[in-house]
Amino acid sequence: MKQVIACLKLVVIAGVMLALNPSGFLYAAAAQSPERLFAELAKLKPEQRERRLEEGSRKEGKLNFIHTFRGKLARGHVRLFEKRYPFVKVEMADMGSQDAAERFIAEETAGRHLTDTISLAIPDMPVILNQNLVAKYPTPATRRVPKQFQGFLDKQNQWVPWYWSEHGISYNTNLIPPDKAPKSWQDLCNPAYKGQVSFDPPETRFMVGLYVMMGDEKFQAWLKCMGENQPIIQRGHTQRMNLMLSGDHAVQGDNFLYVGAQEKKKDPKTPYAIVYSAPILAYAGAMIINKNTQNPHAAALFSDWTLSEESQKYVADEFRGPLVGKHPYLPDTIEVVTFGYLSEEVVDRLHNYWKQHIGKKK
Amino acid sequence: MDMGAGVSSVGRRLAPDGGKLALALVVLILVYQVVIPLLMVVWTSLKVERPGEAGFFDLSFSLANYTRAFGSRDFWQATWNTLYFALASTALSFGLGTFLAWVVHRTNTPFARLIGVITLGRIIIPGILITVSWILLASPSIGVLNNALEAVTGIKRMLNVYSFWGMVWVHSLEITPLAYLLLSAALQSMDPRLEEASSVAGAGHWSTLRRISLPLILPAVGAAVMLLLIYTLETFEVPLLLGGRARVRVYTTEIYFNTARTPTDWGLSGAYSIAILILCAVCLAVYFRLVRHGERYQTVTGKDFRPRRIDLGRWRYVTCTLSLLLVFLITGLPFLVMLYASLLRRYQPPSVEVFQSMTLSNYHEILRDPVYSLDPMWNSTLVGLGSATAVMVLVSVMSYFVHKTRMRGRKLIDFLGFAPIAMPSVVLGTAFLWFYLLVPLPVLGTLTIICLAYVTRYMAVALRFVSTSMLQIHSELEEAAAVAGGGWWRNFRSIYLPLLRPGLMAGWFWVMVHAYRELTIALMLARSRNRTASVVIYDLWENGSFPQLSAFGVLIFALLIFLVFLGQTIGKRFGVQEQV
Repeated sequence: MKQVIACLKLVVIAGVMLALNPSGFLYAAAAQSPERLFAELAKLKPEQRERRLEEGSRKEGKLNFIHTFRGKLARGHVRLFEKRYPFVKVEMADMGSQDAAERFIAEETAGRHLTDTISLAIPDMPVILNQNLVAKYPTPATRRVPKQFQGFLDKQNQWVPWYWSEHGISYNTNLIPPDKAPKSWQDLCNPAYKGQVSFDPPETRFMVGLYVMMGDEKFQAWLKCMGENQPIIQRGHTQRMNLMLSGDHAVQGDNFLYVGAQEKKKDPKTPYAIVYSAPILAYAGAMIINKNTQNPHAAALFSDWTLSEESQKYVADEFRGPLVGKHPYLPDTIEVVTFGYLSEEVVDRLHNYWKQHIGKKK
Repeated sequence: MDMGAGVSSVGRRLAPDGGKLALALVVLILVYQVVIPLLMVVWTSLKVERPGEAGFFDLSFSLANYTRAFGSRDFWQATWNTLYFALASTALSFGLGTFLAWVVHRTNTPFARLIGVITLGRIIIPGILITVSWILLASPSIGVLNNALEAVTGIKRMLNVYSFWGMVWVHSLEITPLAYLLLSAALQSMDPRLEEASSVAGAGHWSTLRRISLPLILPAVGAAVMLLLIYTLETFEVPLLLGGRARVRVYTTEIYFNTARTPTDWGLSGAYSIAILILCAVCLAVYFRLVRHGERYQTVTGKDFRPRRIDLGRWRYVTCTLSLLLVFLITGLPFLVMLYASLLRRYQPPSVEVFQSMTLSNYHEILRDPVYSLDPMWNSTLVGLGSATAVMVLVSVMSYFVHKTRMRGRKLIDFLGFAPIAMPSVVLGTAFLWFYLLVPLPVLGTLTIICLAYVTRYMAVALRFVSTSMLQIHSELEEAAAVAGGGWWRNFRSIYLPLLRPGLMAGWFWVMVHAYRELTIALMLARSRNRTASVVIYDLWENGSFPQLSAFGVLIFALLIFLVFLGQTIGKRFGVQEQV
């Protein structure tokens, strides 16, 4: 009798799962593990591997991808891939790294394996890694990553880094002549720049970068002196940069440097200069593949392609940081401090430091 | 007085035939569109585990999120700032909106219609652009107005948009059109004979306005004040862009800073939402108390009337000048900044050199890739028209049951219709995403899911628009029709809908434009084929420069003006001459 009841229960549960989520249920029963496939691929010679990936992708015919480049930038990138591999139709959504992570988790929790692969900033990875949603993907493509950026690689092959983003200091040359410009992060505490240095509200990535570069004690001391120098706190990297270039204030204490560099390229009269003597804080954007991907070959093909010459050139042409090849505007001589993610406990501590020294409210 | 004096006998019988069907449908839609997302928010607020983590669906609950949310001193400091900010902004915007609505609809002020159109034009411009425009106008360092004032008076930095009062000013101008729209609908549905009687009895204009006109539109006044307050409580752009620099943190920025880290703290976010919901429930209770004698506001009866315009004599030139100045500040000035910026390669304060270097390259750049810019505009048009129409149909039926029947639970319908205002867009977007991930309906990645979310998002405001007009309609009209043997649906369609036109049109316009502009939900539910115009705005904001964003803003402005014009023309053809 108990067995009959148990069987009935199973039938009911299966019925409910099927009603709520037919694709996920069927998938669980039918699909081959992508991780097993990736492990098999890793044993093949590069040419065989490439051929197998292309054949598999041709059969799959599509790829669901979330890009954290936005708008035209993302579309241009994906178009290049589609041109190179016309048999793969890419369904792309573009959004911020955090939103991408949240959406991916929601889909997977609901058992809807709608996304094959995502480009995500490494500092935003822990939330996904903690939930064991990422396939281990060993690939020879990462051999192209130069020594300088090998810190971005993951020993467990959970991601494929393919570009880097920079946080650095820049200033308006109409408001500050080059000889009076800050030379280091510490210089931003100089009273000469009081009320003239702008930051976004507490930003985990920037703080983690500074922390990695300075260590706990120096980071706290820097925040304290920075707080005393009355920095401008304003949300929006691009907007802050545009405001600085318009003469609203003199220095970007923390911003992506490419916005000003692009403006300068468009109009050489743009009053913009980068402080090359201060270390640049760098984190990578990386491809991760869903452990339950429905299109594993296409996901792998795309991940490998992101490190191809074609993709890296696109990154450089668009003034972002390629991992392979020459940076479009930063000289080779600059000091780059690379970082990934830290524990939640450390991140909480950094936010508290910020709150204590800079985030004082009226 | 009998509270039910203004309620139709038809309503008392709980609307037989189609009425019951309509009621059942309304309840069903409310459960589907509001109760489920609301339950998800409540559930999340009581869970320590994140959605997706083990234990999230277990029946064990905790108040830890509430302790975290309300246990900090910073939070209460932000709450104090918020109340101060909300009261100041509400007072200013209500004053401005009432004045403009009165000038446009009840006086013989020259250019009244133009003034009305320009006021509403403000709603069309995306909020981000307006806030940035005011930064460019009144920033202490580069503000165009500051430069002009310095040239005239010699005093530097007279204006500072990065201050508490700068925030109040920019936000008040942002919400003035809402006050204008709500009060316009009520002023147009007002029987002028009461005012005439007051004049005959010797009362002056001011006395009549204070003692007759304003009390008659009390429901609209109450709804306007309540909505303005709630809108300010949940406003985000101005506090984020200006408040950060002014070092004034309000409720929404506090929530943002406490929850915007990766991973999103859904539990904390849910706890904050419940707090806003309680606050809204209090506001709604006050509003219900204010309009509990519904029959007092019923000025639309079986007798014909046409709202009378007051002859202001020479004062009409004063009201005209003041109104034109106001609408110039509300719409004209930010629009000119947007237009100016759209013609530049890089934003710079005006100078001869800058004017000489103006270019149309930003427009070329945007229009060069129609799939990128025009498709999302078309998507937004469909979403705007679809969700506005669906919302107005739904809320007009809801409003009927709330205000024209004495059925039990009618206040619950009103509350449920109003509750979504307390759900931040990010929470609502997530709730819809989760819901449709779990329910296998094929709406993910389509415009339908965005429309469904917008129906919930804009239900609250739309309901207030229609309710103010519904309260003004006397039930004798429906009773007469019922005696003549008309069924519920026929009576509702041929009596209430035509008389609700001012509120319906105002609400439709409001929802359509806001659905066009909405970003957070659109972003959360966007996939490759359902991107909307606001997502493009966000892209340009994140990737590009202010000039290109401005160019896109100008294009959207032109398109929406065209849509409104089209709506107005169609409306006229079907006899709708009120509003927008």
